[in-house]
Amino acid sequence: MSSSWTLGRRVLAASATLALLIAIGFAILFLATSSLQDATSRERRSKDVTVATLALEKNVLDLDAGVRGFVVSGKPRLLAPWNRAGRELPTRIRVLQRLVRDDPAETRRVRGIVALVRAYQSDYAEPTIALARTFPAVVRTPLVASEGERRVDAIRKRFDALVSVETRRAAASAASARHQTRRAIAVALVGFGASTFLILLFGVYLARAVARPVREVAGGATRLAAGDLSARMTGSGPGEVGALMAAFNTMATSLEQNRAELESQYERLRRSDQLKSELVSMVAHEFRTPLTSILGFTNVMRKRTLSEEQRAQYLAIVEEQARRLSALIDDFLDVQRIEDGRLELKHELVDVGKLLREEARSFEVQTAQHSLELDLPDEALPVYGDSSRLLQVLGNLISNAIKYSPEGGEVQLVGARRDDTVYVGVRDHGVGIPVELQDRIFTKFFRGDANARGIAGTGLGLALARDIVEAHGGRMGFSSVLNRGSTFWVELPTADRAEPAQ
Amino acid sequence: MRWKLEVVGALVLVVLLQLQPATASGELRGPGTIRITDRQRSLDEVDLGVRGRSPGDVEITRWSLYNTRITPRPIGHAELVCTFTGRTSRSCNGTYVLPRGKLVVSGQILFRQFFQLAVVGGTGLYENVRGTLTVTALEGKRRGNLVLFRLVT
Repeated sequence: MSSSWTLGRRVLAASATLALLIAIGFAILFLATSSLQDATSRERRSKDVTVATLALEKNVLDLDAGVRGFVVSGKPRLLAPWNRAGRELPTRIRVLQRLVRDDPAETRRVRGIVALVRAYQSDYAEPTIALARTFPAVVRTPLVASEGERRVDAIRKRFDALVSVETRRAAASAASARHQTRRAIAVALVGFGASTFLILLFGVYLARAVARPVREVAGGATRLAAGDLSARMTGSGPGEVGALMAAFNTMATSLEQNRAELESQYERLRRSDQLKSELVSMVAHEFRTPLTSILGFTNVMRKRTLSEEQRAQYLAIVEEQARRLSALIDDFLDVQRIEDGRLELKHELVDVGKLLREEARSFEVQTAQHSLELDLPDEALPVYGDSSRLLQVLGNLISNAIKYSPEGGEVQLVGARRDDTVYVGVRDHGVGIPVELQDRIFTKFFRGDANARGIAGTGLGLALARDIVEAHGGRMGFSSVLNRGSTFWVELPTADRAEPAQ
Repeated sequence: MRWKLEVVGALVLVVLLQLQPATASGELRGPGTIRITDRQRSLDEVDLGVRGRSPGDVEITRWSLYNTRITPRPIGHAELVCTFTGRTSRSCNGTYVLPRGKLVVSGQILFRQFFQLAVVGGTGLYENVRGTLTVTALEGKRRGNLVLFRLVT
């Protein structure tokens, strides 16, 4: 049976085969029963022939008895058997001839008997009766009696032969009937056994091919319902059952994947929530520091009498802390915009080299411990984008390089054109990033061990920077060795390759 | 003229073949019966002893033989020579001449209406046969005798 057959076709084929075998069994049984019927019919016919033969023989004996009685006594009334038998004789002969007419051999035998009987009547009995009337002494001689006996004996031998043949036939037919009966019973038993076996076989097949796989699927579904998403169907089944098992496995795999994804999402959400909690704490701390400065200095300015120089210095501190608060708020708002998909970028031609120079100059005046080394080509590094956002990215990278190099040192800023991209690299020789934290470095609000090191920040800068770069069609990455420093790089499509704004 | 004789001869041969008894076919092999009838042609009595019917008288009877199922004409003849041994009993010898041979019979006859003789031999088809001859007188339209040979070889 082809493995591509559906379950329906298999069941149909099995049912058809079973029906065919049962039909064959019934046909054999029917033939056996027909043979039994034939044998019974032959036996009945043989018995009928025997009965008719014996009746005819009795008729002949009656004829002879009548002749003998009349010959011996000379009394006409003793001819009664002769007369009665003579009247009945044609009917008896017709009955016998009708019974044997389908059998040529029997017909010949009966014809011979009839000829002898007729000869007995015409050649012996009738002349003897006639002589008995005219010459009684003639017919009372032993010679006449022996002639009659001789003829009757000959006839009886023929009767005996016919009866013997019919008896043998009846016996043979009876034996055949018994044989056919036994055969019919045997066929019926074998057919019943075979049918039962085939039905059981069919049932076993259905149980194996359908019930067992369905039971397995039900068991698997129960396990799934109980939460065991690793439940799978290992066996195979025919047609639709196989498809059901495959679909179950697909469903289980999908559920498992979805569950894993949900768990992952849940874990991310949980971590994000944790990070947000940390952020709130950190933001409160971050906000508290400048606010404390602002409140402290404004309180001092309000309560004390200060010189103009001191007042100007304090106001500068207040302004700086206020700007810091503003930058923090801007970062939060940017994160919110990006997450909501509301970040709007300008699409203008920007020289990244120029931006890098401006930002380096800006940071250079803010730190005395670090030296910023610029490595830029003479030609421009043009890209299409939002200059303020790109400036934000570069500022973040330089700021990080400075913050994470607490011992000071050189910060290298590299700008270059590489094929169709503009490359910007910011390299420091600071604390570096532990390997185990590197895969989370772009996660929002993740700050690694920065808090422990006393490095200020929100954990949003790198995430914002990467989102902005990717929004420009570029990419961002880094390499870092613990305690030896990090290099963060950005690649943006050059203005030659990028499409200008329409 | 000669061809006419040949035709007549052939016809005679065919007729003779047709006239043979029902059971006689070719050569007699095994038991058989010949059933024919006769009609007396003559009866001659020779009074040789004491005047009147007495032992020693001779009776010579001649019959024509028929097989009426085949032809109404005689198919043969028979003659029986009987010597009276008593008032009615006689010792007889005779010959039945049939188309394909002769049958010789012998024995005692009590009544001419029903007698039985031994077939002691024969010629032609019936050479070396034995058996019995039973003769039964018929009444009515079938006047004559029923002649029944039961033969064995």
